[in-house]
Amino acid sequence: MTLALPDILMGQFMALGSPLPPEAGEDYTAARRGMLAMLSALASQEAERGLAARLWENTALRTLFSEATIDYDASLDGRLAQAAAQRDADFTWDGLDAANANLRRLLIELHEAAEARADAALDRRIVDLYVRMAHERRLDLPGGLG
Amino acid sequence: MTLAERLAAYLTRVDGVPTQVEGLSRIYGGASRETYRYDAIAGGKREGFILRRDPPGSLIETDRRAEFLAIRSFAGKSVAAPRAVLLETQGAELERPFFIMRRAEGGSSGSIFNARPYGNHGEAIGRQFFTFLGRIAAEPIEGLPLCEAVEQPAPGDCWRRELDYWAGVIDADEEQPQPIVRAAIRRLRRATPPPAAKISVVHGDYRSGNFLHDGGGEIVAILDWEMAHLGDPLEDLAWAFDPLWSHPQGDTVSGMVTQAEAQAIWEQASGLEVDPAALAWWRLFASVKAQAIWISSAKAWSDGGMVEPILAFSGWFTARRQDEILAAHLAGFGA
Repeated sequence: MTLALPDILMGQFMALGSPLPPEAGEDYTAARRGMLAMLSALASQEAERGLAARLWENTALRTLFSEATIDYDASLDGRLAQAAAQRDADFTWDGLDAANANLRRLLIELHEAAEARADAALDRRIVDLYVRMAHERRLDLPGGLG
Repeated sequence: MTLAERLAAYLTRVDGVPTQVEGLSRIYGGASRETYRYDAIAGGKREGFILRRDPPGSLIETDRRAEFLAIRSFAGKSVAAPRAVLLETQGAELERPFFIMRRAEGGSSGSIFNARPYGNHGEAIGRQFFTFLGRIAAEPIEGLPLCEAVEQPAPGDCWRRELDYWAGVIDADEEQPQPIVRAAIRRLRRATPPPAAKISVVHGDYRSGNFLHDGGGEIVAILDWEMAHLGDPLEDLAWAFDPLWSHPQGDTVSGMVTQAEAQAIWEQASGLEVDPAALAWWRLFASVKAQAIWISSAKAWSDGGMVEPILAFSGWFTARRQDEILAAHLAGFGA
């Protein structure tokens, strides 16, 4: 999880309202303007698919925890079953990110536990999930740039 | 007084010659130093320089003395190091520490936004780029100016020192849980690399975007030595190979040469042979280090009032892209 869309949009507001350094020449100004334009284009992608990515990830993590409950819930103090039973109820950016942060912390603990037991199957399952999580959160360079 | 006036006053005082500063303008990019170009006119002679000044708050905790001495270590050694001319650690008239180097004229940098940033000169640029890196690796460290400013690790400690440092940066700056990079750090600690074959100068940020070329197939300057240190030379090679520095649709390292060609060029220039397992370790480490920098970018952006868009880009787009790279590395690295 990295910066969220509301942060980026607030940053656009702050950057556009901030004075440039007195030594900023044309090149500096043009490069900074280009960066602001790039952020705007990326923000439109995030607005389109960011919430869906968060909902998907939270659901995927709860599914994983549910599957791992039998083998790992005791060593994680029952928190896997507890997290697996929860559902997202706050669909704001902040609400989904707060739930996601808790789930990700538990994911880190579960992965550490799997590694401690040399559980190759669960390790593989989690790494595959990392690949998917990163893909769902991706941002694509706009306009044929990437 | 303007910055140009203060710089002119400083140069006049230090050089003992009345000096004018003209055309001082800030260069965009880079969050760990403020970088400016200017012309100095003294004794009827005009010369181009670059001023690198510490910002009020720095993204990367780096030592400008180490950067200055690293550049000096390679003066005249056929690696296109700029000519570092003056270091001021107290700030003096400019209020913050800075150093000055000669400006490489006629150069531009490549961009990851372009699949062929060097046009038809990608192979020629790549040959120089990896030859220069091999020469940096081959350079005996004894007596180098850089050794005055940095510690020399034992060959078996290079990996641990770097991993501890960058994991510590993540510990300090992480504002949200990062399971992918945390898994990578644990994996690196379980599968440690062999000792460094040689202790070399490590540039620390040797990649596309950090050198200037003349548009005709010649590299004119290797830049951004601010993370230079002593360590395992594979660290630099792995950093240069990180997919982040290449266009997503490219099939070469940063639009230059293939990875196999790059490695062969580097081996020939360095006289060192690449251990595939060691390179794999350093490649995963490179992505951990990069992610640490992007995590710090996000924090610096938030702490700095959200006004600098390049920090938001690094802490958002680049961090997301790095997670993709890290996850792919983990999937191929083995448990």
